[in-house]
Amino acid sequence: MSEAIKLEVTEAINEVRSSFSGHQVDIEPDDQGGAFVRIHEVDLGPTYKPSETWVGFQITFQYPFADVYPHYIRHDIARADGKALVTPFNHNQTFALPSGGVSAVMVSRSSKRRDPVTDTAVVKLAKVLDWIRSQ
Amino acid sequence: MRNVEFRIPQAMFDELFAHLFPGDHDEHGAVIAAGICESARGTRFLARKLFIAREGIDYVASKFGYRALSADFVARVSNFCAQNRLCYFAIHCHGGADSVSFSDVDTDSHKRSYPALLDITEGGPVGALVFAENAIAGEVWARNGVYMLDSMTVIGLNHRRLYRAPKKSATIADNIYHRQSLLFGARGQEHLKGAKIAIIGMGGVGSLVSEWAARVGVGEIVAIDYDKLEPSNNSRVVGATRWDAIEVLLNSRFAMLRALGKRLSNFKVHVGRRVARAANPKITYDAVVGNIVDEKVALKLKDADYIFLCADSMQSRLVFNALVHQYLIPGTQIGSKVSVDKATGDILDIFCVSRPVLPQPNGGCLWCNQLISSAKLQEEAVSEEQRKRQAYVDDPTVHAPSVITLNALGAAQAVNEFLFSLVGLHDDEGQAAGYRMASPRARRWSKVGCACETSCPHCGDKKTSVLARGDRASLPCRAVS
Repeated sequence: MSEAIKLEVTEAINEVRSSFSGHQVDIEPDDQGGAFVRIHEVDLGPTYKPSETWVGFQITFQYPFADVYPHYIRHDIARADGKALVTPFNHNQTFALPSGGVSAVMVSRSSKRRDPVTDTAVVKLAKVLDWIRSQ
Repeated sequence: MRNVEFRIPQAMFDELFAHLFPGDHDEHGAVIAAGICESARGTRFLARKLFIAREGIDYVASKFGYRALSADFVARVSNFCAQNRLCYFAIHCHGGADSVSFSDVDTDSHKRSYPALLDITEGGPVGALVFAENAIAGEVWARNGVYMLDSMTVIGLNHRRLYRAPKKSATIADNIYHRQSLLFGARGQEHLKGAKIAIIGMGGVGSLVSEWAARVGVGEIVAIDYDKLEPSNNSRVVGATRWDAIEVLLNSRFAMLRALGKRLSNFKVHVGRRVARAANPKITYDAVVGNIVDEKVALKLKDADYIFLCADSMQSRLVFNALVHQYLIPGTQIGSKVSVDKATGDILDIFCVSRPVLPQPNGGCLWCNQLISSAKLQEEAVSEEQRKRQAYVDDPTVHAPSVITLNALGAAQAVNEFLFSLVGLHDDEGQAAGYRMASPRARRWSKVGCACETSCPHCGDKKTSVLARGDRASLPCRAVS
């Protein structure tokens, strides 16, 4: 397998970088043409404590046909009001970066039907972040 | 460049034919922007977009001959081809019915304009097609020379082939095919011999398709599967024996012997090849131990004449659907399913499907019909460890029910579909797309209507669609070094 990232995935990464300019964005290729993306210092708002997290996800080689999910956030995130995080938040998960897994909370929001032209990885991320912030 | 073929979807051909032959016995013009597929079998041009030249506006009196495409029209369409990395083919019609050739005026015109068009379209190739009612001639200009078109294939429910002049063919089929050639004809039998089919997945469904295709006289089969035989496959993989799965070892209570059994057991594609060669020793059989999701494997299918999808995964569905549309190769997805209530074990439903897919809008595209799940594609792409951790899938050691006779329902329907297409036996009235579904419990076959989305990335007509782009688009495959 090649370490090369497929063109469609590279374009998606570039969109993420441009939407999150000013943030540190780490990229690690998977071994199939996709990539793991990790964006640092993302604000989740006052609902959460801490309110700042990294967000990670894998864009797989069949993107844009394949959905981009689940998303991962820091493992020690909690609700500021003390209530428990419930499904689709899943504790005790690992963001399985090739360089080494990172403890995380998994947020599993899949899309049954998507338009590969308009539902890009960055649009999906924005929807997931909106949803997290609105809880 | 050799074995030059021009492939065109039925709907586009019908529109072009109606424009060229409206009954006025006059000359008319058009341009087709086409993709290209180059392989060991030859070069295929793949019709993607038809530009009708309007009488008196785009198709006008010529100072060199009778009529010609206007300079504006040529500029607009050749620019489109350059921007979209497509090949430019100018089209006009002559009188006559069963044979056709370019006139001296035509060939002079090619010499005047095609070197420049090659530059404008950034290497093309470019070319010309001339039609009679039942014939076609063509000339292709590439950087390295000028080539003649050998044939055109109209891809519809029936495949129709057009040549410069009627093609001579054998009048009597080989005696071993005598009974079926009474239906297919000697020419139909020749088409089968010249056909290359692909089978993705050589389990219960694919092994049946493989044997039947070999028996009816298909000349070349590419079979793809990475699995080895297991003892439980014997009941439904055609030709499998207990020795292929090394049952004695695989059923051993010693782990080392079981591991040895796994190593020594036969690949499904090798069993398929053995069965096919027993049926037809002259067959060319490429038994590929591999995964259709890998680009190198998928590209072996790009010059096939028909593709059977007999595998279960969403990833293989996506690659199949892309191959069908990107390379204008008709195909059929086949499957059977027994739904069981997980809690009670009760049988909920049994159905077998045959889903023919033609490479054109409204052709039964699997993406348009929501038969490819984006979420499943993602799940299948992550590592097994990750899948388990995320609890996405059922326990892989729990298998779904599978019965050879149920597999045979969908497989037989699909192989008949292929045979009738290749030899032209379908009723014209049956042209509308539709899937076939058998419900054995209700003893019923039904036709399922198909949806179509114009924005579809596979069959749609938008710029982002891969329809007929051939080698000039990428397949949704794993990258390989």
